[in-house]
Amino acid sequence: MTATLHRPRDLGAALDLLADAGDPMVYGGGTAVQILLKQGVLFASDLVDIAGVPGLADLAATPGGLRAGTMVTLRRMETDPLVQDRAPLLAQVYGRVANPRVRNTASVGGNIAHGDYRLDPPTALLVLDARIELSSSAGPRHVPIREFFTGFQETAVRRGEMVTAIDVPTQPLGGAAFTKLSSLAANDWPAASAAVLVTASATGGREVRIGLGALAPTPVYVAVPVPADASADDAVDAALAAAEPLIDPLPDVRGGVAHKRRLGRVAVADATRAAWADTPRDTPREEVPDDRRLTLRRLRRRH
Amino acid sequence: MTPIDLTVNGERRTVPVGDDDLLLDVLRELGHTSVREGCGVGACGACTVLADGHSVSSCLARAVRYDGVAITTADGLPTDDDVVEEFVAARAMQCGYCIPGFVLMGHELLAENPDATAAEIDAHLEGNICRCGTYLEIRTALQNVVARRRHDDMARRRHDDMAKESA
Repeated sequence: MTATLHRPRDLGAALDLLADAGDPMVYGGGTAVQILLKQGVLFASDLVDIAGVPGLADLAATPGGLRAGTMVTLRRMETDPLVQDRAPLLAQVYGRVANPRVRNTASVGGNIAHGDYRLDPPTALLVLDARIELSSSAGPRHVPIREFFTGFQETAVRRGEMVTAIDVPTQPLGGAAFTKLSSLAANDWPAASAAVLVTASATGGREVRIGLGALAPTPVYVAVPVPADASADDAVDAALAAAEPLIDPLPDVRGGVAHKRRLGRVAVADATRAAWADTPRDTPREEVPDDRRLTLRRLRRRH
Repeated sequence: MTPIDLTVNGERRTVPVGDDDLLLDVLRELGHTSVREGCGVGACGACTVLADGHSVSSCLARAVRYDGVAITTADGLPTDDDVVEEFVAARAMQCGYCIPGFVLMGHELLAENPDATAAEIDAHLEGNICRCGTYLEIRTALQNVVARRRHDDMARRRHDDMAKESA
């Protein structure tokens, strides 16, 4: 039985369909849904195509960062100057998903709603403390990304809801890095990935924030304080000690538990070392106003 | 069936499509058989087309969503297309099945980044698979397009400057 395709022209109509249809599925970029349909493992009664809903593909600056509508493509997140300026780690990570054709079509909302534990973008969204807007016919609510992934292939999205936007705070000053290790093709799902952001902590030292992909049944997050004058080796050791209890790999064609655990350690160590090295010694705690930040970044890029 | 307004290689037409019809099948039925199915899951690039200049895996694309969009397929490229010419000159194909996809990915990359390096070429083509394994020749072909366009550009500028001076 094929699912009925609906093409609503406004958000209200889309949310009504999600509320009323028997077993609806949002059809965003369509890359994942279309593959699951072809494989015969998606049993939806109704597909709600949201490509025609105005406003969902908007990408805009906000006072504290940026807001990406659910239908913004992954490739736009990779290439748009706004994302590159305000959250360069995020732009970098979106640029590592699958291949350019998938990124041209896949959407930021569908990507996280897919809920796969191996996704790249959640690793950066976790360290940046993004917030997810979920909407239903009852209205919108907001869920921190760190509470969004609730179990294996499960998310905080409830029946009748859909992701409508992602709010991302401006990346704090400090170093950041993303490491993705694949066992098969470079653009295959990773066997291990880690996004690391080093920033000033409330207690005067530094905070190493770590987002892990493919290493547990969900994307996972942990942060660890490290003294600002610690060596890179000490920072790596602290990051590994913090991350290791969270590493709980699922064995599959890309490697067994021991192999992925080993790759996980390498990903955390490499990303931490790169982010630590990229952190200026006098990284301030104070948030720098956005306009000054942009200038700083542009100056740095020119070098 | 829903009629959609499809411009393929500059030719505009109205095509009736079903909700589940894939762009791949619609284009092939219109005669654009350079658009090919390989893996069927967006991982090999044989079905690549450009939609308003952006590469898309037509095997995962529902045609109904491409109403009003300009599609480019490899068979619609001009006979003296520089990317195609450099692929031929570099002998970048054996069986040729995957080549339309590689050619269109090359066009997308060089439109966005005319100075693409070997590493940038590799990164942009990482989702295209060639079973004959002519990857090195494909990379060479695209590097040659970069050099050729740079050369043509310089020649054009020099010509313009000379024209200005003599005016």
